[in-house]
Amino acid sequence: MQWRNTTNNYGALAKFLHWTIVILIIAQYVIIEAAEELPDGVEKLSQVSLHKSVGMLVLLLAIARIGWKLANRGNPVPIPMPGWQKKAAAAGHGLLYLLILLQPLSGWAMSSAANYPVTLFGWFQFPALVAPNHDLHEGLEELHEVLFTIMAIVALVHAAAAIYHHFWMKDDTLRRMLPFGRKPAA
Amino acid sequence: MTHWPRLSALGWVLAALLAATPARAAAASTTPTPATAWTTVAASSSIEFTGTLAGGEFTGKFQRFVAAIAFDPANLAGSRFRVEIETGSADTADADRDVALAGDEFFAVSRWPKATYEASQFAAAGPGQYQARGKLTIRGIARDVPVTFTFKSNADGRSAALSGRASVHRLDFGVGQGEWQDTKWLGDEVRIRFELALRR
Repeated sequence: MQWRNTTNNYGALAKFLHWTIVILIIAQYVIIEAAEELPDGVEKLSQVSLHKSVGMLVLLLAIARIGWKLANRGNPVPIPMPGWQKKAAAAGHGLLYLLILLQPLSGWAMSSAANYPVTLFGWFQFPALVAPNHDLHEGLEELHEVLFTIMAIVALVHAAAAIYHHFWMKDDTLRRMLPFGRKPAA
Repeated sequence: MTHWPRLSALGWVLAALLAATPARAAAASTTPTPATAWTTVAASSSIEFTGTLAGGEFTGKFQRFVAAIAFDPANLAGSRFRVEIETGSADTADADRDVALAGDEFFAVSRWPKATYEASQFAAAGPGQYQARGKLTIRGIARDVPVTFTFKSNADGRSAALSGRASVHRLDFGVGQGEWQDTKWLGDEVRIRFELALRR
């Protein structure tokens, strides 16, 4: 298995982190939407706790992903495309990296502002990011939702671009990020 | 001519008991001299509690309580604590949780508006450190709860700081009914810390 990126393919670790984060973020949406349907009680508490733990896992994976990207200088050679597309792709990727950090951070701060603990599945408690403050909590809750909407839009454009490249341009843009070591066509 | 009131047999028994009362009081004169009574300065005193939620800790405080403290390190026998806490004043900085705490499943404030702690047995537990053995009553359920505390009196003896802690199991008092008896998401143990500013 090729852990590092190569000139025409993403390495196993970059792929693993990319797809794990995708799956976890989709799961996060499902978990919290289900939790909001529940009346206050143990079940809701457990669902929200799960959402917080998974969110902190996303934060750790996002840090690993960005760290690995910075450490892993040999990114795949860009596929030839118009300059505006390269710029749009770079901006989109930059924004996604930022959002996968900011989204868990805003959730963490939101919990701290309401004086609720944030743990990683109860194994480890993260310190409070901010002191309890009702108005700050309301503001951060709003921010957490707005950031999610922005992230969902950017991620959908990102996915649409990959699909466009795959089916219309018939290039390796999507294939080189696909899991299970699929070799891009030469 | 003086007529003694006529007494029935029961009356005689009562009269005998009444007559015996001073003797009984005298016998109980080993009752210790009350220790120094302090006034608690509410503004600089606090009672905090730390609970466990989904494996993480959170801390809240009681906004309103009255602590009647009679304490003197040199007169532990005459020392007394009586603390009344308004359970409805539990403040965890989250309105939803505070409402839940006041509700029937937790403190049931409408039925039991107060929790009390009463202690009359004290023992030294190290330099400046003491242990009170008293009863904590929450939701009408009384349990023995030891409280470990330090007592520091100012040089002039007019003010003192009393700070300590205790550990309680909320389910011993029925705090958490129904599904909240499950301790997986809301832990059983609650740690209590208090700081009392005393003056006299």
